[in-house]
Amino acid sequence: MGVLGEKFFNWFDERYKIRSFIEFMSHKTVPWHRHSIWYYFGGVSLFLFIIQVVTGILLLLYYRVGEDSSYESVQFIVSKVKFGWLIRSIHSWSANLMILAVFIHMFSVYFTKAYRKPRELTWVTGFLLLIFSLTFGFSGYLLPWNELAFFATKVGTEIIGSIPVIGKELLRIVRGGEDVTGATLARFFGLHVAILPGIFTVILFLHLLFIQIQGMSEPPEWEKLPPEKRKYIPFFPNFLLRDLLLWLIILNILAILAVFFPWELGKKADPFAPAPAGIKPEWYFLFMYQTLKLLPAKVLFIEGEFFGLLIFTVAGILWMLVPFWDVKTDKGYRNRLINYIGLFVLIYMLTMTILGYVLD
Amino acid sequence: MKKFVILAIVLFTLTFALSQGKDGCYNCHKDAVGDKATELYPKDVHFKLGVSCADCHGGDKTSDDMEVAMSKGKGFIGIPKGDKIIDVCLKCHSNEMVMKKFGSNIDVNQFKLFKASVHGKSEIATCVTCHGVHNIKKVNDPTSPVYPTSEVRLCSKCHSDANYMKKFNPALPTDQFEKYKTSVHGQRILKGDTKVATCSDCHSAHDIFPANDPRSTVFASTLPKTCARCHSDANYMRDYKIPTDQYEKYAQSVHGKALLEKGDLSAPACNDCHGNHGAIPPGVKSISHVCGICHALNAEMFSRSPHAEVFEKRNIPQCEVCHGNHLIERPTDEMLGISTKSTCIKCHREGEKGFEVAKQMRDMIDTLVMRTNRAKAILDEAEFKGMDVSDARYDMNDVPQILIKARTVIHTANLDEFKETIAPGYEIIDRVTKAGLDAIDEYYFRRWGLGMSTLIITILVIALYFKIKQIERKK
Repeated sequence: MGVLGEKFFNWFDERYKIRSFIEFMSHKTVPWHRHSIWYYFGGVSLFLFIIQVVTGILLLLYYRVGEDSSYESVQFIVSKVKFGWLIRSIHSWSANLMILAVFIHMFSVYFTKAYRKPRELTWVTGFLLLIFSLTFGFSGYLLPWNELAFFATKVGTEIIGSIPVIGKELLRIVRGGEDVTGATLARFFGLHVAILPGIFTVILFLHLLFIQIQGMSEPPEWEKLPPEKRKYIPFFPNFLLRDLLLWLIILNILAILAVFFPWELGKKADPFAPAPAGIKPEWYFLFMYQTLKLLPAKVLFIEGEFFGLLIFTVAGILWMLVPFWDVKTDKGYRNRLINYIGLFVLIYMLTMTILGYVLD
Repeated sequence: MKKFVILAIVLFTLTFALSQGKDGCYNCHKDAVGDKATELYPKDVHFKLGVSCADCHGGDKTSDDMEVAMSKGKGFIGIPKGDKIIDVCLKCHSNEMVMKKFGSNIDVNQFKLFKASVHGKSEIATCVTCHGVHNIKKVNDPTSPVYPTSEVRLCSKCHSDANYMKKFNPALPTDQFEKYKTSVHGQRILKGDTKVATCSDCHSAHDIFPANDPRSTVFASTLPKTCARCHSDANYMRDYKIPTDQYEKYAQSVHGKALLEKGDLSAPACNDCHGNHGAIPPGVKSISHVCGICHALNAEMFSRSPHAEVFEKRNIPQCEVCHGNHLIERPTDEMLGISTKSTCIKCHREGEKGFEVAKQMRDMIDTLVMRTNRAKAILDEAEFKGMDVSDARYDMNDVPQILIKARTVIHTANLDEFKETIAPGYEIIDRVTKAGLDAIDEYYFRRWGLGMSTLIITILVIALYFKIKQIERKK
């Protein structure tokens, strides 16, 4: 570092104590064991989120929300704006990969029991980030205002209407009226570009802060290992460079997907046209959609759809609160039940997703 | 044999004359009253067949007492009016058995047909309106009011009376008879030719419907067949020495296919070119006017072309010279130019201005068509490669319209006007072709770009990998 650089550094350090932060970072380590590969998926999710933010801002430069302008502006972006096609395709592909990465990250944390004390709130914030990612996906899907998005949103929001008493009113609030219209588009747009990013950033900040404070979770088996047998690598630069390497590979995968499989725009939404055959939600909602489809009209005097919704809500809350009811792992015992539940959930989601694609 | 036939006729007449001799009604009305009915009736076809007054009017023909003969108790109805007239006629004319007894093969469904027809209300017409009363003759009897030479005048009694017709259909023209007299049919019938078409030949006799009723024999899509009944019958038309293949040709023409196959009622039938009541072949000078009723722009353009004056001087049938008459096919670009299939070379020879104009026009159309097809193929390729060329496709929608306009402007035979019309087509195609080629270039640019970025990223990944290894080795 040159003399000028040092002066600059000292100027900042005098005011913001960055030397102590660097000191902290240089001592930060990452546990190194056979399951360490799963540590990368949090970083991958973060990288894809950053891509979403950057490409989302670029799309906002040309996207104009409205029944008469959404589709047209997206068409303009992909056909007229320089590299617009690339930005739009990367935004769509990255959104899907991000949700996939978040799911992988969640299950890896679950199966390695990394949620246990003292990281309960890291898990809770992580679960909330998953829910908000899904909401991001659902709201963003409608924004091009194409046929597929229109009907998928129509079918998706209809589920809300099955909630007794408040369902109809809630549906009207979500849609901004009786049906999916320009009003729905406007509020989904607001949700996608203002409300969700705001909330998401705060929760993401907390999530990352917790990780920085507590460091990465060590495997439960390590508690019985003598300290000298525990292996660590420095976070900076070793782990960060590995992270960077993976991010570069993912960036390349994104570019290949965007060029070879550009995200189609399809036909403009026509509310008066009949729904095209085989309308399905995005893959990450398919397991829920398929479950609701397979449920009978009535389950124990409750509407089938509402019953399904109830089950998913209760299961989601239980899943979010797993660090609080898994007391066995907390006490240092192996809790096989947690593994079985996790396996069941994973197999159930995979089976229902596959069925969703295979059945009509 | 001849003697036998004469004897039979004499015996037949004598028998019925004797039978009428017993008819109290006839005898009394003839001798004592001396009315017009009994004066006319002996000439009536029914009188000859032995149909008595009482058969229509009711009553007892055997009684000499007037009170008895004309009493209601004996079924006397007096002079039937309105629907009663039809009831009287139907007593026999709706019963096949009765008609056979009289040796008649007349269709017993006439009334049913008549009732459903436009005339089928008694306040408009009954049987006697056309066939007369007490003096009814066979249709083929020249003294019958419905005999071909008389029928036209019979129908015109009502149909030429504007005041009378207003009561039933104020919109219906009343000049049919006047027009008919100007037609070939009318002129011939006035000379006594009973083979030509009269009102009932086209409109039918009892089941007449308005021309816009699909049941009518003169409904647009039925009319060609109605005309063809005579005009396609070579034997029937032999004396007139005119072709009999018009219907056959028309059915294959663009007009015939539109009307008869597609049911497009706006397509012309025979009457749209030849007229209906005043049917006559259009004269050489009026062809473009007749065609111009529908093809107004073409006719206007032709009228200001150098062809118009020359054709008129040389008595050349305008549109027909290139397009034909009954067998008018969809015009193709081959009709234009200097190839063997071209109609231009019928008159124009190499070295003439017209020859050169035809050649250039054809070349320019062919070039635009060819470049349009090429542009389409380029857009298809771009789309196949996943590129968005919807704007260029939209732009291309104007080209067929320009081609239609250019093909119309041909009728002016004015090369400058033609060039002015077709030029925007070339401009559009140039733009579209460029957009398509740019899209294909963009496709390859994207792949090259991807290749380059992948290369850079891969180099970075490898460099990073070695850097990590280096750092980890140091530790």
